[in-house]
Amino acid sequence: MPKSKAIKKSRPRERFSYDPKKVLARLEQLGREILEAVREGRNPYFDIPTRGLNNVYFDEKRKVIRMGDKLSRRYFLNVAHTRKFMQTLLISAYVKRLVSEGKHASLREAYYANKHTIPGTKENTFEDQRESDPIIEDLERMLGVLREEMHLTADRRGYIYGDIVIRDGEDEFNTSKLGMGGWAVPGTVEHLHFIEVNVDYALVVETAAMADRLIEEKFPKKENALIIATQGQASRGVRRLIHRLHYEEGLPIIVFTDGDPYGWYIYSTIKQGSINLAYLSEKLATPEARFVGMTMDDIERYSLKNVTEKLKGVPPNKKGGPTGDYKRIMEEMNYPWFQNKEWQRQLQMAIKMGVRIEQQALANKSLEFVARRYLPEKINSGDLLP
Amino acid sequence: MAKSSKELFKEFKIQSVSEFFRRNAAMLGYTGKIRSLTTVVHEAVTNSLDACEEAGIPPYVRVEIEELGRQHYKVIIEDNGPGIPEKFITHVFGKMLAGTKAHRNIQSRGQQGLGISGAVMFAQITSGKATRVITSTGGDIIEAWVKIDVEKNEGKILRKQKKPNPTGWRGTRVELEVKGVRYVRSKQGVFWYLKLSAIANPHAHIELIEPDGKLITFPRSSDDVPKPPVEMKPHPRGVLTDDIYRMARKTRKNTVKRFLISEFSRISDRKIDELVKYMAAIRLIKTEEDRNVQEQLYERLMKGEVDKVLKSFRGYRKVIKQVGKIMEKPPGKLDWHEAEEIVEAFRYMKFLAPPTHGLRPIGEENIEKGLTGILKPEFVTAVTRAPKVYRGGIPFQVEVGLAYGGELSSGFEILRYANRVPLLFDAGSCVTTTAARSIDWKRYKVDDIERAPLTLMINVISVHVPYTSTGKQSIANEEEILNEIRLAIMDAARRLQTYLSGKHRKLHQVKRRRTFEKYLPEIARSLSVLTGEREEVIESHFRRLVEERFSETEAEADA
Repeated sequence: MPKSKAIKKSRPRERFSYDPKKVLARLEQLGREILEAVREGRNPYFDIPTRGLNNVYFDEKRKVIRMGDKLSRRYFLNVAHTRKFMQTLLISAYVKRLVSEGKHASLREAYYANKHTIPGTKENTFEDQRESDPIIEDLERMLGVLREEMHLTADRRGYIYGDIVIRDGEDEFNTSKLGMGGWAVPGTVEHLHFIEVNVDYALVVETAAMADRLIEEKFPKKENALIIATQGQASRGVRRLIHRLHYEEGLPIIVFTDGDPYGWYIYSTIKQGSINLAYLSEKLATPEARFVGMTMDDIERYSLKNVTEKLKGVPPNKKGGPTGDYKRIMEEMNYPWFQNKEWQRQLQMAIKMGVRIEQQALANKSLEFVARRYLPEKINSGDLLP
Repeated sequence: MAKSSKELFKEFKIQSVSEFFRRNAAMLGYTGKIRSLTTVVHEAVTNSLDACEEAGIPPYVRVEIEELGRQHYKVIIEDNGPGIPEKFITHVFGKMLAGTKAHRNIQSRGQQGLGISGAVMFAQITSGKATRVITSTGGDIIEAWVKIDVEKNEGKILRKQKKPNPTGWRGTRVELEVKGVRYVRSKQGVFWYLKLSAIANPHAHIELIEPDGKLITFPRSSDDVPKPPVEMKPHPRGVLTDDIYRMARKTRKNTVKRFLISEFSRISDRKIDELVKYMAAIRLIKTEEDRNVQEQLYERLMKGEVDKVLKSFRGYRKVIKQVGKIMEKPPGKLDWHEAEEIVEAFRYMKFLAPPTHGLRPIGEENIEKGLTGILKPEFVTAVTRAPKVYRGGIPFQVEVGLAYGGELSSGFEILRYANRVPLLFDAGSCVTTTAARSIDWKRYKVDDIERAPLTLMINVISVHVPYTSTGKQSIANEEEILNEIRLAIMDAARRLQTYLSGKHRKLHQVKRRRTFEKYLPEIARSLSVLTGEREEVIESHFRRLVEERFSETEAEADA
């Protein structure tokens, strides 16, 4: 049973939804539409939602960054488009093969698998991975399916530790029984089944060192929590895992990062999604995540003033400012999802104090301090930021 | 100014004709082994083309060079002209300067030398052989061996025979045997000469059989035979003392005054009165001792203040009377000094511009046909400028043809002509070269002129082409002529520019089309994977789409 009423599991709102047939059907439909256009003598095209900031907005109701409805048309009979048109089809066909054969490929593999010289020219289908990666992103937006659903995996990063049982293909395991290192989150988490979830909440930790500290202090067992180490900015796999745990298993998500603009940004991507991947926010973002620390109040409350570090750059009230960390904070203050009293106060304080505080600064008290006192105290009392 | 060939001939009459010939070889075109052969061919071909033109027959000229030994050739020229009546054979081939055009004020091809008789002479002094002439005006065929009697300056028929002419052949065949010449396929040789002639005479069919037996044909590309040029009365500004002196001896008029009025253009009764005043004024100015005063008087004369100049001298009326007497003399009594005075006075007088009706340009259409027929370029254009006048009185006209691309090899080529006659020597000093080089070709989309597949043909037409030297192979740098050539070239170059930009556009279209087509196999394969349709079927659909798109845009571009 949860030790506090502050942390409550919610009811599942999404179900395991991965179905390879859906992706295949979408690809085949795409192919048929193109072929139909050509048969009728029309110039075939793809409608691709526009990338970039001007096609991104914050959905106030659902509290996620979402993609607008601006489309760009990619025509076959257009000198500027035709190469990308060809590349889009090439990748589509490749994905179809991957999915129907049940194989996965990395982005780099996808690039090499489709790179070849076009007969009769000195031109390659792809000259660089920087050419194939955007095509894959385009396909995601166009079809509304995740790259992972198309069996294209990104670099993996991050691991979890806690009392949950996962089935991954033929393997079934408890992530708290795999040793201190936990279980590394793969690039694709679509196909994972959560067999048993015996934790009350998931604690997302920015640094691996802090996650390791908590595991060593047996925090997951004592607090009945799942540790998710993002190791910096959360990878897509980790973000998708967080999303699924929250929506499919009703697990509350609590984020624990450094008290600096970078840490807050990590929180913001987990919560609202990112501008780059705005089209995936609905699958990656977890707007109900909450933030435990580090906060500016912690410095006072736990008298950590002597372990703070100065913010880099010029403060906004000085000549030439704001730059560096200050500028970053000013930007975050303008984010729609930070438009609440609590966050505005935190960010104002940071600028005023001109300092940042790392997670591991808590070790100044003692190694056990974070696991025994800081986290349990804050989480159980519900002292969390929205 | 070089003396005319006749003048020279007179001076050397005491010596043998062959001596005269040798001494004036340069002027007559018989210097160098290659050039001599070209001149022989030139004289014969010119005669053939002129004869055909005068008779309104589309010329068919066949040149055959047979190698008989070291630097020893037989040159055969055959045409389909009107043929030569029997009694004129000695006249045409034998008599030096007998040519029908010598010293006529007419735009003629035959400004080169002594005409065909010179070639006969050349054959005679190099090989010692007589020239064989076979000709028919449609009746019997006459075969004659002609030599020149150097003592009498007359043609001599050594042997002659008549043959029946059952096929009704008409034309002339000349066979000359020459030594000390060489056949080379260079830009000064017979091949190049005939090629250039063919371009300037698209109405002619010209064939060449080279010493190794190779037949080269320059086919006819135009059907209209140009009208022969008409004789024009000389304009006072364009005449030389020699012309007046010589013409005065030939005229049938009774007085110098009537002679000048009738034999020159733009001279009237009133102009004669003016002439007398000017001549008197010049005589008086020459008596003035102070150089500066003399200068000033000449300047005033140039401004037309002839009456004031005269009045500044005492007893000027007497001088006018003396000069007036010259005008009443029989022309035969006009002496060289008086002729000189007349020419000098002409230089200060004002005359209407000369008539230009006698000039016969090739014509833009025919130049284009000639260039197309011989060079097979992908683009051709021609510009014939309106007649102009240089040195204040000599009418001339400039034509330019421009051929680009196609079968032309890369390299800028200038084909020079004077009165349709190819100029093969002294290109460097020629006004046509200067003009062509002065053009900024980059402005006309020709980036590298030295490597461009570009041929420029320039024809300068005049009753009196100003050559730089006796060789008559390069045209002098007269400002008016230079400007006209430049304007003509720029006009033609502008059309080339338009063409080239269109070509760039088309190239661009081809490139664009290729951009789409090259991806078709990739697209077809991918779509085949996605849809299960056969690759070939998909590719053909796409190919049709590209096809349709480009037929549309090409139609637009052409419109």
